[in-house]
Amino acid sequence: MTHFALTIIGRDRPGIVAKVTEILYRLGCNIADSSCTILGGQFAMILILSHPKMQSNEEFGTSFAPLEADGLSVFLRKLQPGGESAAEIDGEICMISVYGSDKPGIVYPVAKILGDMQINITDLNTKLVGTPQRPVYVMMIEAVLPAGLEIEELSSALDRLKKDLQVDIAIRSITPVEL
Amino acid sequence: MPVKDVLIYPHPLLKKICAPVEHLGEEIDSLIQDLIDTMVAAGHSVGVAAPQIGAPRRVVVVDVSHSKLGRDDNHGLLVMVNPEILEREGRKVSREGCMSVPDYTGNVVRAESVVVQFLDREGKQRVIRARGFEAVALQHEIDHLDGLLFLDRVSSLKTDLFRRKKR
Repeated sequence: MTHFALTIIGRDRPGIVAKVTEILYRLGCNIADSSCTILGGQFAMILILSHPKMQSNEEFGTSFAPLEADGLSVFLRKLQPGGESAAEIDGEICMISVYGSDKPGIVYPVAKILGDMQINITDLNTKLVGTPQRPVYVMMIEAVLPAGLEIEELSSALDRLKKDLQVDIAIRSITPVEL
Repeated sequence: MPVKDVLIYPHPLLKKICAPVEHLGEEIDSLIQDLIDTMVAAGHSVGVAAPQIGAPRRVVVVDVSHSKLGRDDNHGLLVMVNPEILEREGRKVSREGCMSVPDYTGNVVRAESVVVQFLDREGKQRVIRARGFEAVALQHEIDHLDGLLFLDRVSSLKTDLFRRKKR
């Protein structure tokens, strides 16, 4: 079956999910993985779809036009075969919290260190909190360490960053428990 | 003693409320042995509830003494017939998974410490207090006896920080 990635974003209000999924239901699309959330005042939807017959973006035709007319932005991408399933990610899972007074350039240095260490970010959220006078930036990262990398090594790399950026960083290991 | 297959959701037995054990005889004793054998054979597993191996009775076995998270604070192998949680205290979030729900994990809030009353394998009435990971494992397994999966208890999406109350 051909898979597609569908992303939709627009001003948040009740009923967006119903509108989108009604169209998908009528088309006969299957929703596999999906993640939808509020970011700022926007509702953002990311869905992996499959359809028993449809092979290309064009076949969707004007199906999503009513959403666009409603002020939602819609983007459809056809996946390469196999692109719907994740490679097995084995390794220690950790949560990294980074927070401090808001300033430019917090996300990139942290992400650069993780990327250089071949650490795979599997989830990342950032939010601007605090008051307009004293804004605080909070970033939460869930990441998987590559085989052979100890959490302490990441810890000491991030410790150096802590001083440079004047932010607080905490790392903890998450051990999923199978019961 | 046979190692049993662990039932996978949507097997209907996993959503059934299990019947209390009235009489601790040979049948229940061999069920207990099957549970222990199945738990051991599953290697990484720290507990199994009777419905998971197809027996809708109120019996669980738990042993966290071999797991990294539980080895410092545990009661060894616990066999519990008709277990009942008398007290719950504290709050602890764990990323749980379940042999009956493969390939999915979720954050679950459970009591950090529980007092559990149960009959042991010999039919003696016992009461223990369990803490930490052992308490989590007990709550997870005892939930199975009421047809509850960890999916019924997932408390938050991966990162719950940003979905809290607004001022």
